Amino acid sequence: MQVEYRKEKLSDKYLVLDLLEGLKTTLRELFKPKVTIRYPEERMEPTDRFRGMFKFSYDRCIACKLCAVACPIDIIYIDVHDDIVEEGGKKKKVKVLDRYDIDVKRCMFCSLCEEACPTKPKSIWLTTKTYELATYDRNDLYFNMQELEYWDDRPKYTGLPEDDTKQIEGQKQISGGVE
Amino acid sequence: MNHAFSHYLFWPLIKFLVAFVIVQGLVAAMNWIERRLLGLFQARLGPNRVGYKGLLQIIADPVKFLLKEDIVPASAEKVAYFLGPMLPLIPAFIVFCLIPFGPPPTFTVTRVNVGLLLILALTSTGVYGIILGGWASNNKYSLMGGLRSAAQMVSYEVPFGLSIVGVLMICGSLDLVTIVRYQEINAWNFLPQIVACFIFLVSMNAENNRTPFDLPEAESELVAGYHTEYSAMKFAFFMLAEFSMMIVNSCLIVTLFFGGWTLGMFGIGLTTDVLKGMGMFGGILGTLIFVTKVMLFMLMYVWFRATFPRFRFDQLMDLGWKWMIPLALGNIVVTGLFILAGQERLLYWIGIGAIGLAALYLFKPKRAESRKVIHAS
Repeated sequence: MQVEYRKEKLSDKYLVLDLLEGLKTTLRELFKPKVTIRYPEERMEPTDRFRGMFKFSYDRCIACKLCAVACPIDIIYIDVHDDIVEEGGKKKKVKVLDRYDIDVKRCMFCSLCEEACPTKPKSIWLTTKTYELATYDRNDLYFNMQELEYWDDRPKYTGLPEDDTKQIEGQKQISGGVE
Repeated sequence: MNHAFSHYLFWPLIKFLVAFVIVQGLVAAMNWIERRLLGLFQARLGPNRVGYKGLLQIIADPVKFLLKEDIVPASAEKVAYFLGPMLPLIPAFIVFCLIPFGPPPTFTVTRVNVGLLLILALTSTGVYGIILGGWASNNKYSLMGGLRSAAQMVSYEVPFGLSIVGVLMICGSLDLVTIVRYQEINAWNFLPQIVACFIFLVSMNAENNRTPFDLPEAESELVAGYHTEYSAMKFAFFMLAEFSMMIVNSCLIVTLFFGGWTLGMFGIGLTTDVLKGMGMFGGILGTLIFVTKVMLFMLMYVWFRATFPRFRFDQLMDLGWKWMIPLALGNIVVTGLFILAGQERLLYWIGIGAIGLAALYLFKPKRAESRKVIHAS
């Protein structure tokens, strides 16, 4: 695309009125809403497709190991044993999950495990809108079954004194953000 | 207490101290105001963490400067290195003796009949500290910054002085109080002297090494310019001197072109006599008007900084020598001709015309054909 600009007039060169245009632009910018999010007090809400931390549901899982197979870096560890349950006079073999661990520190959040999961709704999913995953120790990022299911209950960093719960409840959520 | 002591020493000292404390408070506040406002101009928030809306930053910054380690380069010229930050402070502080903050005689520290000349003489010595600091740091970037500053300040001292001449010709006095008294009876000087006012505004920015003329501290070329090697309190002194000089120049432009402490023209409105009639309250009101005007110009500095990109050095010199000085000289000639013809009031139409032209340019309806797009093929 070729753009043809207005020809420079003599008055543009000798009268400095262009400067006023610049000043007008910056002044208009002064009163516009700012893009800054004051992080610990305000949080950006990610979009629906955002891949955050794992969430796992023990009840939905059928222990088929498909997610572990799908994982390209093999960080899902699953142990299963068979149990025999009596149901209506019939003996039935049921798979029981012993271990479901994810080494999140090595995860690249490709979401292939979620795609591979055959249950409906998925028993492992990543669209949790969480991005606060930083820890002080890398071993803290090895999550077992219980931790994967209940990490939502752990205390959240607010940047405020711990007893100051009133302000935490009144947190402002900012929608939109990265699209 | 005899009369001479109280009249020439005691009261001026008290008044100076009060003015000094207020001005230094403004300087400290300016540091925060500039950073905050610059942030708001640039679609961010600026410092807002300390205290309400970041107001405690005014205290936090000096405390940080005081507690920081004071590093002196091993190869620095010790005496000159220490003198560098001190020298620009002295004229910047003394000048506040000479500026009339409110209606005389209560709100002026001293009334000197060549006050303007004295202020010009004092402010132009500020460059010594910068050169000395740049040279004593024994660092080529500092030296470059110092030299640039010297060249720039000397160049812009000329249009700075010449732009004032027009005002002096109209008012017929170097006494700042007389100049203000003239402006309240006639129009404020920016109307008949709009060209001089513009030159003064530009030179004022150049004198203070502010963006668009901040070449001495151009961080993309010379690390930080003349204060590269300075840290802690010495660096703070440089900043203090810079902001003080900004306030001095804002005071000057308000006094010379925008009617000082008055808020009226042609003898109508809040003139000196009206303010004096109100007693002490009137005096404080006048001072408040003056400070408000000064702060508006301080905000203008920030606004300019947020808007204009930096000049190249040859462009800076071109602007100074090829445009500003001839323009200032032409302004003197034109003003002289009008005064000779006894038609000073006709000069107002120049100012009204120029302001009208600028307003017309700013608020004219946008033409859709300002940019034509030609698609390929």
